[in-house]
Amino acid sequence: MIEFRGVNKWFGALHVLKDITLSVEPREVVVVCGPSGSGKSTLIRCINGLETIKDGDLVVDGQRLGDRATNMTELRTEIGFVFQAFNLYPHKTALENVTLAPIHVRKIARAEAEASGREMLAKVGLGDKFNAYPSELSGGQQQRVAIARCLCMRPKIMLFDEPTSALDPEMISEVLDVMVGVAEEGMTMMVVTHEMGFARKVAQRVVFMDAGAVVETGTPEEFFSDPKTDRSRAFLSKILRH
Amino acid sequence: MIWFQLQSLMGSYPLALRGLGMTIALSGISLVLGTILGFALGVLRTSGSRWLDSAIGLWVDLIRGTPFLVQIFLIFFILPELGIELDAFTAGIIALTNLAACFICEIVAAGIRSVPTGQVEAALASGLSQWQRMRQVVLPQAMRVSLPPLVGQYVLLIKDSSVVSAIGLTDLTRVGWLVVQRVPNGLLVFAIVGIGYFVVCYPLILLARRLERRMSAAHGEVQL
Amino acid sequence: MLENFSFRTIVEYLPLFGQGFAATLWLSIVSFAGALAVGIILCAMNLQRSRLLQLPAKIYIDAIRATPLLAQLYFLYFGLPRLGVVLPELFVGILALALNSGAYIAEIIRAGILSISRGQVEAGIASGMTYAQRMRLVILPQAIRVTIPPLLGQAIVLVKDSALLSLISVAELTRAGQLLASDRFMPAEGFLTTAACYLVLYYGLKSLAVFSARWLGVRPIGSRT
Repeated sequence: MIEFRGVNKWFGALHVLKDITLSVEPREVVVVCGPSGSGKSTLIRCINGLETIKDGDLVVDGQRLGDRATNMTELRTEIGFVFQAFNLYPHKTALENVTLAPIHVRKIARAEAEASGREMLAKVGLGDKFNAYPSELSGGQQQRVAIARCLCMRPKIMLFDEPTSALDPEMISEVLDVMVGVAEEGMTMMVVTHEMGFARKVAQRVVFMDAGAVVETGTPEEFFSDPKTDRSRAFLSKILRH
Repeated sequence: MIWFQLQSLMGSYPLALRGLGMTIALSGISLVLGTILGFALGVLRTSGSRWLDSAIGLWVDLIRGTPFLVQIFLIFFILPELGIELDAFTAGIIALTNLAACFICEIVAAGIRSVPTGQVEAALASGLSQWQRMRQVVLPQAMRVSLPPLVGQYVLLIKDSSVVSAIGLTDLTRVGWLVVQRVPNGLLVFAIVGIGYFVVCYPLILLARRLERRMSAAHGEVQL
Repeated sequence: MLENFSFRTIVEYLPLFGQGFAATLWLSIVSFAGALAVGIILCAMNLQRSRLLQLPAKIYIDAIRATPLLAQLYFLYFGLPRLGVVLPELFVGILALALNSGAYIAEIIRAGILSISRGQVEAGIASGMTYAQRMRLVILPQAIRVTIPPLLGQAIVLVKDSALLSLISVAELTRAGQLLASDRFMPAEGFLTTAACYLVLYYGLKSLAVFSARWLGVRPIGSRT
């Protein structure tokens, strides 16, 4: 579904992605973790073209990014992206947020889009917040609207960029529960997160990145109980200490 | 034709230079005086006295609410009726200084208000006097916020000085007006006048932009 | 001293001030509408990637901002006849105000658009919107709200700037004051009345600006973080 082959990227002189080779199968859930600045956000932002790659191949849903034949705008409708800062549209209600792209990009009839929007909002536990503006919602609720906004596009892939790190601790689980639900329905997911409980529960694989390179991959069991490199051991001891 | 006019314009060269000198002198002097007065008013406005705050606020509103041309006329024609004799230059300086002081007062006051109360409390806790708090803690931080609009205000001031030509001061704009009576080519004459102002103002505009960019970079704001 | 301040003369001249007030009001409205059009076009040019479109807009905006309105007014007033365009003073004045304010309005709109966070743009991109859709559905609706208070501020500036039109003998508010001052040698009466009329316009627009800011602030822009 997603395949990186020898991907490199620089920000100026900074080598942010070093020779990444990695593939994600359909219906697979992959958790990406690593210290800050390790390039994990950049990695998933490349998949829907928010960042462009310098060399190597990146094939998503059978289409090679950067090819003339690849229509990025169309491809993006198949990829949901959940941001760390939610990025809900502040001038639109929750329902308007989730129906905006279906109506204008997918060209679905308004009534139909609203019906499925209501259904998705109800599914993420916000059946009573259709007409609330983002500023009237808590961080956890906003992030759940953001997830519903992606689901309304019926994407083939969902990408999550540290979806819980801007949240107060008591709101993290409500968002993770929704993500677990999405994963259990068989969505192809790539999740940048440090929530190891989530990784253990639904991830088939954990990818550990450091300094722009994939240092280690493995099942959650292998990775947490028996990290193979010094760097992953150091990282785990830091995030699991408390 | 154009050649002839250019030659004729060359003859006005000393006059133009005098006009530019007048514009620079007028705006330079009132810029310095206005900055000093404006800072004093700005500090007074935030000193905590309600009475002072609203008195200054009212004056600022009166000045901001009326055209500068009308203010010049009022000063130039009415002060003599009150027994204060003054020439056009002095009237121009008074009007421009007052205008600058009012705008700068608002910029400085906004800068001072932007300093978080925690800063004042920290200074209080470490036993600084009111003057020391202002001088060591508040003003340096307020200046960072105030500097870009302050420079922008100077540009407006230099441009506003052109209005003083209405009471007969021979500044750059007045020179253009005089020359155009002899050389009937308004496009050429006022393009040259414009270049005169541009040379003075544009570097300041660039400076204001740079300061602004540096500040928003320091605050980590996101750009499109 | 002003002991002979004559309210009676002011009353006598009130119809003239009324006409001046009306003239200032409507010529400001017309100029502001023109300035909005100029500003929107300039801003649209300035936001393009093509330098061919961007550069003329940038040069125009900088040239206007670095030179005084009075010089621009004289440029048109003495210059247009040179090009064979002879317009009434009033039109020259409105043209100058619109061209001048347009440059400032272009910058206000641009600042409004740039104030929308990168995240909003990315959310639009991620859901497959085209540039035009992002502008129309995501950025402009938010930017317009941010720009309304500063636009009203620019309207205040324009009303005051329109006083300069009296110098090319357009019959407006300041001209009314000048007439009273020169006909009756009563500058105090003339210009204080003029100032009072401008203050009415100023306080009107200012309360509108304050009100609109508060009204638009009911739903705060920008989600958390």
